[in-house]
Amino acid sequence: MGLTSGLAGLASLRGLALAAPVPVFAVAGFGTRTAVQDLRLAREIELVDTPRAAALLLIAGSINPAHAEALARVHDQMPHPRATVLWGGSAVPAPFSPEVTRVPWGEDPTPAAREIFRSLLNGSRATEPPLLPDVDPVEWRGVGPYGQGGSGMTGGTPYGRPMAELAPDRDGLRLDALPLEIGPFYPRLPAGLVVEMTLAGDVLIEVAVPAGLDRPPDEGPRRPIPASPFERALTEPVRIAELELARARAHLRWLSDALINQGLVALGTRALRLAHDIGPGDAPRIRAFTRQLGRTGLFRWSLPHGQGVGAERIAGAGLGPLSRAAGLAEDVRTEDPAYRALGFRPVVMAGNDVPAWWRVRLAETAESLDLAARAGEADTALVGRVESPRGRLEPDDSPTARALPLVPELLTGLEWGDAMTTLTSLDLDLDESVTAASPALAATA
Amino acid sequence: MIALGPLAVAFAVFVAAIAGVLLLWWRGDRGRGRHQAVSERSPFAGGRLPSVHAWNRYHARYYPMALVFLAFDMEMVFMYPWSVVFVREGLIAMVEMGMFIAILLLGVLYAWRERALEWA
Repeated sequence: MGLTSGLAGLASLRGLALAAPVPVFAVAGFGTRTAVQDLRLAREIELVDTPRAAALLLIAGSINPAHAEALARVHDQMPHPRATVLWGGSAVPAPFSPEVTRVPWGEDPTPAAREIFRSLLNGSRATEPPLLPDVDPVEWRGVGPYGQGGSGMTGGTPYGRPMAELAPDRDGLRLDALPLEIGPFYPRLPAGLVVEMTLAGDVLIEVAVPAGLDRPPDEGPRRPIPASPFERALTEPVRIAELELARARAHLRWLSDALINQGLVALGTRALRLAHDIGPGDAPRIRAFTRQLGRTGLFRWSLPHGQGVGAERIAGAGLGPLSRAAGLAEDVRTEDPAYRALGFRPVVMAGNDVPAWWRVRLAETAESLDLAARAGEADTALVGRVESPRGRLEPDDSPTARALPLVPELLTGLEWGDAMTTLTSLDLDLDESVTAASPALAATA
Repeated sequence: MIALGPLAVAFAVFVAAIAGVLLLWWRGDRGRGRHQAVSERSPFAGGRLPSVHAWNRYHARYYPMALVFLAFDMEMVFMYPWSVVFVREGLIAMVEMGMFIAILLLGVLYAWRERALEWA
């Protein structure tokens, strides 16, 4: 092989690299969760789970300023060459340069991402420098004359981090307990959610969710535009067919994320496609998909069994599928005369664990499509409270705000994998919580 | 030189490997003098910093694994001499091995019930 053909080979390698999907780490700001999720269907973009695998940081919508430092750190954790794209959103978050590429909301960010990726790879665009100051929290220095030695295994406090404390573990030993905070931009959790946990090996021995997460962003819109049918149903009658179709789609979007969390990426992508494709009367497709999920052994082997909270503990909390999987027939729709006229009966099961939550949501998806097909032109008759996909939604109270306090008792004692499955199976949505707490909405109600 | 053939090849592979490492180093961030900032070195857990060092002692729970290992190990210890005499002894050896494996299988089932096959 001569020098020329060798160079041509290198050039075609570069061409191959350019033809690959752009690795993007996406952060979904307020009200942009579904738009970011839809990027999974874009061929040109690959949504990656960690900034270490990304070349582009896509910030969609407005980010709570309290998380600006965390966002800057996620940016710095991307390898070089890297770039940032702002998609919608009103202001550039604090440490980011004002010259960062912006894509208006409503436009597809894919061409811009592709173009930036190309210019990064061919060197015409410089990589972005780190945003946070390059200072160790504490200098690593032991007691010896050369900074060595001291108490503990390494001596000193390496990079300002002390060694883990001892705690009793489940085998009656005293071993290290590792505190770990995940979020606010952990890929499996809604943006803004932080979970503080203490791990012994891979078992969670202590879990806490800091309060005050459902704070609206200081800048930018307080409500997603356009408002979801569930939010509109709080203040005005809405077509039942529209509401139920939105419910089926919300359940399928949750299913997509939950399946991807289980490592079933192809099935998760199919669930997301279904969320786009389905219409009233497509219940048989959902039932067939449910049977297919059953055949993978998911419900029997993969999901953790017997981890729900007691039915008496959540009675009256109106947690939607979680309540109904615990045998409680709590559903705002039963109070609505329009639904009663359609012969609506809530799906109730007696499993009260993660597989039961999944089964209830899948059964409700099919039921909602049946209802949407039957409802015709009928409108909801009840205003002021509505059954959202996550439970009873009221102007100042959201199901996510009521489910968050359950997280510690649900997760404590689980292994890491089961804990993450349980967390994603709760279907938490901080946006809904923010909207419900928003004064603008309370005023209109 | 012919005697040196394999050695020369090994040496060439060695030199090529060193050259490859140096090339990657030269083309990489360090070779270009790019320094890694503190925030770039920190582990990813969603944007927050870890509060303690990652050097962590936990119970690896080898005991159930040891049970499973013993079950399979004993099986092999018996199977080697058995395979030597199998042809000579015929059906009796076959039945004896069947009984032995059935007993061992009970051990494996017990370990399975004790969740020894789950690493946790």
